Amino acid sequence: MSKIIEVSQLNFSYPVDEGMAPAHALHDVSLEIEEGEFVAILGHNGCGKSTLAKHFNGILKADSGRVTVLGLDASDEKNITEIRRNVGMVFQNPDNQLIATVVDEDVAFALENLGVPYDEMVKRVDEALEMVDMTRYRHHAPHRLSGGQKQRIAIAGILAMAPKCIVLDEPTAMLDPKGRREVMKTITRLNRERGITVILITHYMDEAVQADRVVVMGEGEVILDGTPKEVFQNVGLLHSLSLDVPQTAELMFALRQEDIKVPIAVLTEEDCIAELEKLLGGVTHDQN
Amino acid sequence: MLKDITIGQYFPGKSFMHRLDPRMKLLLTVLYVVSLFLVPDFWGFLVIGAVIALVVASSGVSLKVVFRGLKPLMFIIIFTAFFNILYGGGEPLFPNISWLAWIKTEGVRNALFMIIRIILLIMGTSYLTYTTSPVMLTDAMERIFRPLKVLHFPVHELAMMMTIALRFIPTLIDETDKIINAQKARGADFETGNIIRRAKALIPILIPLLISAFRRAEELADAMECRCYQGGEGRTRYKVYSFSWRDWAALGIMLLAMATIILFMIF
Ligand SMILES: Nc1ncnc2c1ncn2[C@@H]1O[C@H](COP(=O)(O)OP(=O)(O)OP(=O)(O)O)[C@@H](O)[C@H]1O
Ligand SMILES: [Mg+2]
Repeated sequence: MSKIIEVSQLNFSYPVDEGMAPAHALHDVSLEIEEGEFVAILGHNGCGKSTLAKHFNGILKADSGRVTVLGLDASDEKNITEIRRNVGMVFQNPDNQLIATVVDEDVAFALENLGVPYDEMVKRVDEALEMVDMTRYRHHAPHRLSGGQKQRIAIAGILAMAPKCIVLDEPTAMLDPKGRREVMKTITRLNRERGITVILITHYMDEAVQADRVVVMGEGEVILDGTPKEVFQNVGLLHSLSLDVPQTAELMFALRQEDIKVPIAVLTEEDCIAELEKLLGGVTHDQN
Repeated sequence: MLKDITIGQYFPGKSFMHRLDPRMKLLLTVLYVVSLFLVPDFWGFLVIGAVIALVVASSGVSLKVVFRGLKPLMFIIIFTAFFNILYGGGEPLFPNISWLAWIKTEGVRNALFMIIRIILLIMGTSYLTYTTSPVMLTDAMERIFRPLKVLHFPVHELAMMMTIALRFIPTLIDETDKIINAQKARGADFETGNIIRRAKALIPILIPLLISAFRRAEELADAMECRCYQGGEGRTRYKVYSFSWRDWAALGIMLLAMATIILFMIF
């Protein structure tokens, strides 16, 4: 596998008013994303997740350190279009990222910017809408759609560029449970079936456990990085970062604190039930 | 409550008028207005009247809508008529009633002429917006004025601003509704008191609205950059317009009407 994004020793602070100490939003962050991976980024509010994400496609420029996307240096203005075409980004609020007043025109926006010829554009808009299962809404006005549908249109607008990687910054935070499920289904399908690299910033643990890899951030630094199983073993550390862990892991953690021997990271409900059955010696089967 | 506002008053549809190319509709409207001002006498209005009758018949938008739109303009119409009568010459219209002596034939004629002209003007331009969505209008204007780019006139930027404004109007209206309700729930009163009191009551609505609009603008700018927006240079367009037989037919009719009016002028 080749690396799609390489971040090394990245430092960044937002400009502040004169006389104030610069607030370090990112401090010595190093991270590598492999092509085809599904990475979740966790961290409490204001720890720098969005700031990091905006470095992945050159929306923000590093103060020091290097960001390389597909081997291209993100600090070089010449590479920016190529980088943005390959690393698309979806934001939290769907209302603030839809530009046109008709769905298909919005999906075409990036293609217009890239100067894609008309016939090719029509084809790619159709494909993108198909991929997010929104073809029948192509002539609708975005502001009449549900949150989940709007977010899928935003994803389609990115997919139209045929990117290798999509970065989603809390795409489900403003959605109801149904909208969340729709969007998560779309994201996982794009990753599994199309091999698109997905970087998902989220506050929801049930979304993070669906990833291949979880990166935990705190105060502008990467604190944990590993598979969901590895990361969610550190229940105490995660709690100290004011983060939740999946409820199943929470239960196992509580049992272990009572000196009951169970594995540490159990992430799915089925596994959890299996563990509990083992523990109770099959009692649950006798109940009815 | 703010939902009732319909900017530009567009009525979606699939009529002949709706299906005309927006660029052609803009051109036709210009020709229509020019013709209207060339009309030398009442006979000329018959020609314009015939044109507008065709427009109404082929638009699927009822005349009632236009007249509703005329009501707020009644004041201007009456005002214009009054001054035309006041300053018009000719014989008194009622020679036997002394206090109506200021009403003269010439003045009444002028007033009628102006009223008809204003009404026809409003009808013509209204039917442009009734049958063309604001986005299509801006799009058409961008295409028509594109040559002005040579003079460094920011055609694309203005069109993009208009498009975004139109896209965000419903969003911001929704938001205003929410803020109003939130402030009402906190006991704010927008309906009583004098003008100053009411204007003051608007401040707690405008400030959150403004802050939120700025935040939205910032996020939108990021989202546009993420989608490789770099201004109008080298852009292609998803929407292509092409003239069909309808456009040529409509242009033919309009030119015919215009030629007739010019003949009226000469003879
Ligand atoms: N535009 C900005 N100007 C100045 N400071 C900013 C700006 N955006 C973020 N910050 C600051 O940078 C730090 C990191 O913010 P960031 O938005 O990256 O956090 P986050 O992890 O995405 O948080 P959240 O979970 O709330 O989205 C915070 O302390 C924040 O206050
Ligand atoms: Mg954030």
